[in-house]
Amino acid sequence: MIEIILLISAVLFIFALKLFGRPSTAHRANLFAMLAMALAVFSAFNFDFSKYDSTFYITIVISGLLGVLISKRVQMTQMPELVGLFNGFGGGASGAIAYVELSNSSLHFNDYFVAIFSMVIGMFTFSGSLVAVMKLRGKLNNFSSKFANIFSVFLPVIIFIPAVLEIDNFVIEFIILVALITGIIRVAVIGGADMPVVIAFLNSLSGIAAMSAGFIVNSIILIVAGALVGASGIILTLLMCAAMNRTLLDVLKGGFGNTTINNEYEKDPFSTSPEDVAIQLSYAESVVIVPGYGMAVAQAQAAVKELTNTLKDKNIEVKFAIHPVAGRMPGHMNVLLAEVDIDYEDMFTLEDINSDFSSTDVVLVLGANDVVNPLARTDEDSPIYGMPILDVDLARQVIVIKRSMSPGYAGIANPLFINDNAKMLFTDAKEGLENIIKSFELV
Amino acid sequence: MEATFLLTLLITFLASFIGYELISKIPQTLHTPLMSGSNAISGITLIAAILIYPEVRESQILQIIVLIAISFATLNIVGGFSVTGRILEMFKKND
Repeated sequence: MIEIILLISAVLFIFALKLFGRPSTAHRANLFAMLAMALAVFSAFNFDFSKYDSTFYITIVISGLLGVLISKRVQMTQMPELVGLFNGFGGGASGAIAYVELSNSSLHFNDYFVAIFSMVIGMFTFSGSLVAVMKLRGKLNNFSSKFANIFSVFLPVIIFIPAVLEIDNFVIEFIILVALITGIIRVAVIGGADMPVVIAFLNSLSGIAAMSAGFIVNSIILIVAGALVGASGIILTLLMCAAMNRTLLDVLKGGFGNTTINNEYEKDPFSTSPEDVAIQLSYAESVVIVPGYGMAVAQAQAAVKELTNTLKDKNIEVKFAIHPVAGRMPGHMNVLLAEVDIDYEDMFTLEDINSDFSSTDVVLVLGANDVVNPLARTDEDSPIYGMPILDVDLARQVIVIKRSMSPGYAGIANPLFINDNAKMLFTDAKEGLENIIKSFELV
Repeated sequence: MEATFLLTLLITFLASFIGYELISKIPQTLHTPLMSGSNAISGITLIAAILIYPEVRESQILQIIVLIAISFATLNIVGGFSVTGRILEMFKKND
């Protein structure tokens, strides 16, 4: 009976992933995954609910309620932090279970390695995720990556400690400490804009930790689900890396953007006003909006929607060009735009929209920088050389709404800003858009 | 469910492969809900905690650690699915 429930659960998990492939079926995917999870958890009890005391059930109920409470209260712009936080909890749980198994039962020799592996990955995910959350909230600055690089060499080494050392509690606790510290230092050296990669990577690790916990307790469903999460996280990680033309190792090394490259501009940019932008937009036939992290920071989604409506009412075509690494997690911009009811049919990926820019009248760049920097195509010495960018400089006119000329994450100047077809509107994304909308009423 | 180590490895490989194939096809628009959904699934480690909880009766410290694991994993599952539902709700109303 239990086997059949587990089989159904595993099949449901796989179907859930399949349904995740399309926006129209994705909400059903979540229900399938929830059902699969409920069945899997139910089966773990093996119909013997009396084995568990009230402390156990109270812990589950309170944690569950807390989970719902947190998830309902959080704002969409804080989603990366929340995903990071929950991810850390998952990793921490796997790590703790591995620790208990190591110190409690008499494990088979092979299982020792799996348990230590699970514990190290779980603890690393736990501390790394918490640091990532602090980074996303801007509460932590980068620090020197040299020390971290030396330290991280320890991590793969300690997994093999049981091969040479008799395992006792002291050794296990030492390993935990190293894993926790490595997680902290490793993530601390990576800059905020690389967090999409880090979050996806930690997500993958939490799946791998769960999978290895499945090996220790001999649970196939745990292994299957853990492997699915591990695979999903790895795919997202590699996609994010490819979108920056960097390797995972390079991202994890940290220290990106600490370059001291000449980032002076040859001439002053052409500064514009909300009224001029409104006039420019009203004469356009096609407009492409490029949202970046600046839109999220300024909470400008609602203003974006309002401007989109205004333009569409004038029969102007509006599209959104979304770079894979825009924002702080994979698909971040899509979620923020969906939040204000912008149709996902209007959101385009880099590959789908890049050929359209040359026939676009006006491109509106909202708080994005490196992902529209043409140096990625032309300057071989640039740290972003080879990174796929949105070719907005090919459009007839480009308007960049940005607070200042300060460089983006890569720490380099963006010649787009002084291009002949570009104008700068120096303000915060929300305020800028609202002023443009106001000016429309006068046009 | 007992299984030999090799068979388990095969299942692991197949699951990873299916996961990789299916997830490769998911469009960028859905990457955030995918991540938060798969994040919720990683809380399935709760099963391991449920399985070992009855085994640690004798040691109070280990029992507390398992309870912490249970709490973390439950938070991960319930919070993760709830937030994924919230995100997907926004995509649904576009239909």
